[in-house]
Amino acid sequence: MSKKINIPKIPHAFFRWYCKKERYEELHGDLEEFYYERAEDKGLLKARMHYLFDVIRCCQPYAWKKSKGQTNPNIMMINNYFKTSFRNSRKNPLNAFINVFGLSAAIGICLIAYSFLEWEYNLDQFHENKREVYLTTFFSNRDGSIQHYGMSPKPLGEMLKADFAQIKKVCRLQDQNVVVKNEDKVFHEQVRYSDPEFLEMFTFPLKWGSPASLADLNSIILSDEMSIKYFGEKNPIGQDILIIFGKDNKKVFKVSGVAEPFPKAHAIEFDFLVNFENLQIADPGYNPNDWSGFVTATLIQVADPSDMEPIVQGMEKYLTLHSEGQDDWTIASFDFVRLEDLNRRSGQIRNDISFGYPPQKFVLPIIAMLILALACFNYINIAIVSATKRLKEIGLRKTIGASRGQVIFQFLAENIMITFFALVVGVMLSAFIMIPWFNRLFESELELKLIDTKLWMYLLFILLFTGVASGLYPALYISRFRVVKIFKGSVRFGTKNPLTKVFLALQLILTCLCITCGITLTQNTFYLNNRSWGYDQDAALYAVVDDYGSFTQLQTAMLQQINVLSLSGSEHHLGKVITNAAVEMPDQQYQVRQLSVDENYFETMGLSLKEGRVFNGPYPSDKTALIVNETLVRNMDLTQPIGQTLKIDSSKYEIIGVLEDFHIYNFEDEIRPTVFSVANPEDFQYLSLQVKNGTEQETYKALQEQWTILFPEIPFQGGYQSEVLGAYVEEAASGAEFLMTVSFIAVMLVSLGWYGLVMLNVAGRTREFSIKKVLGASLRNIASNISRQYALLVTIALLIGIPLSHVTMEAFLGMLYHYHMPITFSPVSVAVMILISVLLIVLATQIYKVSKSNPVEGLKAE
Amino acid sequence: MSRIHLGEFEEIVLLTVGVLYDDAYAVAITKEITKQSGRSVNVSAVHKSLYRLEKKGMLDSRLGDPESKRGGKRKRLFSITPFGKKALDESMELRMSLRTQIPELAFKWQMG
Repeated sequence: MSKKINIPKIPHAFFRWYCKKERYEELHGDLEEFYYERAEDKGLLKARMHYLFDVIRCCQPYAWKKSKGQTNPNIMMINNYFKTSFRNSRKNPLNAFINVFGLSAAIGICLIAYSFLEWEYNLDQFHENKREVYLTTFFSNRDGSIQHYGMSPKPLGEMLKADFAQIKKVCRLQDQNVVVKNEDKVFHEQVRYSDPEFLEMFTFPLKWGSPASLADLNSIILSDEMSIKYFGEKNPIGQDILIIFGKDNKKVFKVSGVAEPFPKAHAIEFDFLVNFENLQIADPGYNPNDWSGFVTATLIQVADPSDMEPIVQGMEKYLTLHSEGQDDWTIASFDFVRLEDLNRRSGQIRNDISFGYPPQKFVLPIIAMLILALACFNYINIAIVSATKRLKEIGLRKTIGASRGQVIFQFLAENIMITFFALVVGVMLSAFIMIPWFNRLFESELELKLIDTKLWMYLLFILLFTGVASGLYPALYISRFRVVKIFKGSVRFGTKNPLTKVFLALQLILTCLCITCGITLTQNTFYLNNRSWGYDQDAALYAVVDDYGSFTQLQTAMLQQINVLSLSGSEHHLGKVITNAAVEMPDQQYQVRQLSVDENYFETMGLSLKEGRVFNGPYPSDKTALIVNETLVRNMDLTQPIGQTLKIDSSKYEIIGVLEDFHIYNFEDEIRPTVFSVANPEDFQYLSLQVKNGTEQETYKALQEQWTILFPEIPFQGGYQSEVLGAYVEEAASGAEFLMTVSFIAVMLVSLGWYGLVMLNVAGRTREFSIKKVLGASLRNIASNISRQYALLVTIALLIGIPLSHVTMEAFLGMLYHYHMPITFSPVSVAVMILISVLLIVLATQIYKVSKSNPVEGLKAE
Repeated sequence: MSRIHLGEFEEIVLLTVGVLYDDAYAVAITKEITKQSGRSVNVSAVHKSLYRLEKKGMLDSRLGDPESKRGGKRKRLFSITPFGKKALDESMELRMSLRTQIPELAFKWQMG
């Protein structure tokens, strides 16, 4: 050999791994000999190829099998356990199927719950500075109670930076809707104006470009999603992109950075990031020193969380500054919320940049636990009853010296094996079917991260918990029997075990609960779809306009359409944009929703007037008039609403009309006090139309066409009024679908468990029935004989289940919706009917089997 | 059946071990079979047969000396046991006996 030729490393490592030690030397020697020879004759490459094939082909039992059999008695025993349980499940494929199917469905749902909680828990936890970054918030007294707000007064950020040495960085954020244009791609988007510190405080690494470029006024940083939307997959750095702030107000920005895709568990994000100073360009009248205005958020970063104390104490002076600077609002106190805790507290903070989940999220883990419990009960019942067939095995084991502990161990091990199978099936079920389904339903981005150690811990926990919880009782129960009794045949059980009955009853109750909730939510979805919104949403269309100029152009065009019955302009719009205002009462501020509209709005939207009148004519007539809804009248205890004066933002208004109540965004929230005032046409943002019945689609098309003719530059924004609640209605429907599926799984589980139980019970009593038949028992006798023992049980279970389901459903619906369908007994009755019919069908099949069986065969057995 | 079973390939391996006598180890056997029968044989197949034959007691083995052409590893040298010889003889005998029992007529093909 002229030079040293190395053995290929990876195949060698593989060989070493599978080959047992004693044979490694001789076997690998042979391979090496061939390898060196081939390397010499045919070249290194071919030799390597041959070597790889050899290694693969040598991977045969002779290379790895232990030469002698297992001698350790403990291990042999365990092998024997597995062999027996394997044979057992093969003998009873149905039982094995029920167990594995039930458990895996339950585990699948548990995994959904896990990934949801994991996602929720990790929301925004990837920011490196999450413990040093704080959101500035404030408390203010509204509606007689203290409310927490997430925005902050405009001048605060600059002042904080100047006043406190502890504050390392300050970042103000302001969001605004604009039109973004790149060549033929023109869309309505939201830009985020921010101080350059934003990318230093938050961990949003850039894929391309530099974060420092945010300091430049002409730079724009895109999210990954937006980069793909406007520029495709290629690197857009240095490209121009046009932002249209408003009519005749646009600016070209240079793309200077593209962010990496955001982690899935994020609440704070951005689409377009530009320097904060650009606000002056977007709105020349923008005054950063105006205390009555707000920015979307002010964030600060300190070197150490302990630095916060002096800052919190030093906030007093801004209260004075704020109250001197304006007199619309009073701020009770300032507070800081750590980024780490922001999404957990977000539910209680109004108008903050993050979001969090309401307490309803705990429904999911509870459902998962319930289904898991159902599956466990199935297992316990079937295990106990099927043990009748294994009594001899247990007797024999005990006779040849197995202790009770060993028998318990055997049954537990067997159970853990079954659970393990179920776990594997469940993980696949969840990863490939359930989680994608859940994501589609709720438009969430859950995923099962298989490389996550926490997930494996959780799976291990499920495995042990389910395995032990479902196996312990049967194991203890079965192992208790005396050998002598077993062989004498005097042990009879399965039919009379009280716990089996308790478990069955529990199952029935839980299933009743599941079905009831599923049906209730489904019915409620239908109810919500048909519930009146308080105005005529079906005949209305709307479009977003830029300003009064474009409004009049569109108005002129649309009024020529014969199908348009009424047209109006407004600054705010039902279901879309609404502002908040504070009504000043002598002793407190009272928060209301406010819409500025023109005089035709009520007719166009079909809002019905209860008393008084609507606005007489266009702005500025009725400038100080106010139309309110019933809730406001009720809440403020106005006995004579018409003619009353209210003080809003330091100007006085007179109530001229009262409207019947209507829903604005959804049915979950209570209807809030709402006021309408006359809109200055200069502020028009919306154009709404009422069209003739049945011409909605036609007119909508015409509306879009007119828009394109008038404003080819700007994409159309508008739609059917009946769709403004679309997302909300869809979400409600998704919840119903989820619960229906879960209850379907629950019914499946119960019927399978029930089927297994009845079948085993009947099979164990073959002789008894055969004798009865021989002695002349009729089908009715036998039927009543089989069903009698279950009748009482089912009755008791339902007697507990019905009221429980009803009460739970009521609480559940009340928690989710402020306005929901009237609670009736129909969901519970349907649930009971489903349950009873499933039980009866199963019972009937078994009775049929007994009636068809030949008693002679039954007696001959054994 | 109480007869000692010997597969076709096993038989060839057993014979080759005898042929090579003092230098019967996997690589040499593989090459010898390839050379004599002309069929391509993989060393893993030879390994498999050798270990099976040893387990059946037809072969005996010992470790040889380390050799540099094998990367300093020793080789396992095989030799036939008396039981191996008996198996071989019985197999041969059976074949011969069957061969002699074929009537001559069976080989008289009608040509054309």
